[in-house]
Amino acid sequence: MIANSEEKRMKSKDGQNSSTQLQEAIGLRSPRLFLEREYVTISVQAQQDKDCPKIWESLKQAFIYKNPCNITTEDYQPLMELASHPIPCNKSLFWSKTNDLVHRYTKSNHNFLTLEDTLLGYMADRVSWCGDPSAPGINYESCPKRTECESNPISVFWKMASKMFAEAACGVVQVMLNGSIEAGAFRSSSIFGSIEISNLNPDKVSAVQIWLMHDIGGPQSESCSGYSIRRLKDTLEERNLKFTCEENHRPVQLLQCVNNPDHADCRLCSSKTETP
Amino acid sequence: MNSFFLSLLFLSLLFMTSLSEGQGKKWKGEGTTPNLESIVIGRCYEYTRIVNPSVGEKNCSELWEAFKNAFIKKDPCNILPTDYELFINLSLHTIPPNKSLFWENNQLLVNSFSGRTRRYTALGDTLFGFFADLLNWCGQATSPGLDYDSCPTTEECENNAVDSFWRMASITYAQHSSGVIHVLLNGSAEGGAYPVKGFFADYEIPNLQKDKISKIVIWVVDDIEGPDGDSCGIHTVKILEDRLKTLGYDVTCTDDYKPVMFLLCVDHPDHSKCAFSSSAPAAQRGPISSDRGGSWNKLMFVTFVGLLFRSALVY
Repeated sequence: MIANSEEKRMKSKDGQNSSTQLQEAIGLRSPRLFLEREYVTISVQAQQDKDCPKIWESLKQAFIYKNPCNITTEDYQPLMELASHPIPCNKSLFWSKTNDLVHRYTKSNHNFLTLEDTLLGYMADRVSWCGDPSAPGINYESCPKRTECESNPISVFWKMASKMFAEAACGVVQVMLNGSIEAGAFRSSSIFGSIEISNLNPDKVSAVQIWLMHDIGGPQSESCSGYSIRRLKDTLEERNLKFTCEENHRPVQLLQCVNNPDHADCRLCSSKTETP
Repeated sequence: MNSFFLSLLFLSLLFMTSLSEGQGKKWKGEGTTPNLESIVIGRCYEYTRIVNPSVGEKNCSELWEAFKNAFIKKDPCNILPTDYELFINLSLHTIPPNKSLFWENNQLLVNSFSGRTRRYTALGDTLFGFFADLLNWCGQATSPGLDYDSCPTTEECENNAVDSFWRMASITYAQHSSGVIHVLLNGSAEGGAYPVKGFFADYEIPNLQKDKISKIVIWVVDDIEGPDGDSCGIHTVKILEDRLKTLGYDVTCTDDYKPVMFLLCVDHPDHSKCAFSSSAPAAQRGPISSDRGGSWNKLMFVTFVGLLFRSALVY
């Protein structure tokens, strides 16, 4: 899924220092810091030997001084190789139109990893970058949106990273979809639909488990037998991938209830009233 | 003569053993986090550019220098909270009223619950707290001035770099909190939900600004699998409530505060405490699976028909 950062514009008052700032915001989120984050403890081994300054260099080389509408996957190849790491089986969590919820979930439950919980995704999340042929080679004023040109540094990055994340998945994989949106829970034009599904390896992936979440008190626009879910099922089965669908997967629904504790759908058996 | 040499040998062995022990780690605690400088400077940019840009621009290199100078090249057992004064002055920013969240014995839970300032702004969600959260550091007299090998624990010396930092940070956080103050306590904690000696008791409560505070709200939540220890109105929580009331605060207390309960339940969805009442939505339908082989079903059907046919023949 293309991160929101793709649409942001990055501004800096002091052009001179901004390269350092970008470097430090992206490149120096070192492995050690990453290791400290709770949700990484399951894949600690994989990150032990990462060279952060080198990773920053390879990211920088991918876009600096280049036309920001002409970025290719080859530009990012060295970065992808340096920063990728294996993902434990049964832990890959894909998502579409559930950005906020899925990441709150992986922050609370350390059994699953989204792309943004891997080193590559973590470094790039919520950050934007693009180059320019003239000095200093990095454009801090504005960057092209996807609608302006598709081969911009951010879009190409996330497409590549998503592809690799899907290729690395093994065992049972999970997908969190939004059953409360009008346009349908599954869209073939989304990153999940257009890139991730086609890069899942049926020899490694035993099943694809859909968690179809409805907003608390929100419309139930789609169910597991809904139109787009059936299309998803067909697409997966064509690729010889086993499909299951569950509505409102409990642990995730409990998380939604944190923000809606008094809603009728969130009534707990053990609820007590406030003591003054 | 023999016994003399034996004693000499014994003494030499003792001496050598004590020497090699001395060459082991100096302190009992973990050493300074590797790449500390890169991490904290990166965090400073992450916080000011992404997490909470409302704090404005901060000079992250200057912040690191001020932080570092509090303990680098110094005796690691002689660092005081005031050594961090410059760092605090440089990193200080307003804490929105009604957003402060104090806590004891539930750091990871608070971290999740506060949502990095989206719900509340706990100490770890301020720039100065975010800067150092979960990291470790201490100095040493010799180059490079930071000890990456080991650091003193609180038991080894109270005035160590990390504890003094958090004392200073806690004092500052309390001083700049206003409006409705929240405190999240762990009802299952050993020794009680409210530690009578702890950061909250010793550094935060004494530094709350009474004239800026409208109310103090206490939440006592037990671990899902944990014992039902303390609750509002009893044991250590009562001690806390009385202390705050004596100080003149308007205090309320709630057990099993629902939003936090839900958060804890995410990891224990099947626990009885986490069961939804029967009026839960019909949306909780069972899983729908794929037919792995349409051909398998056909085979079953044919077999069934075959069996039927065969039984018909028999009769």
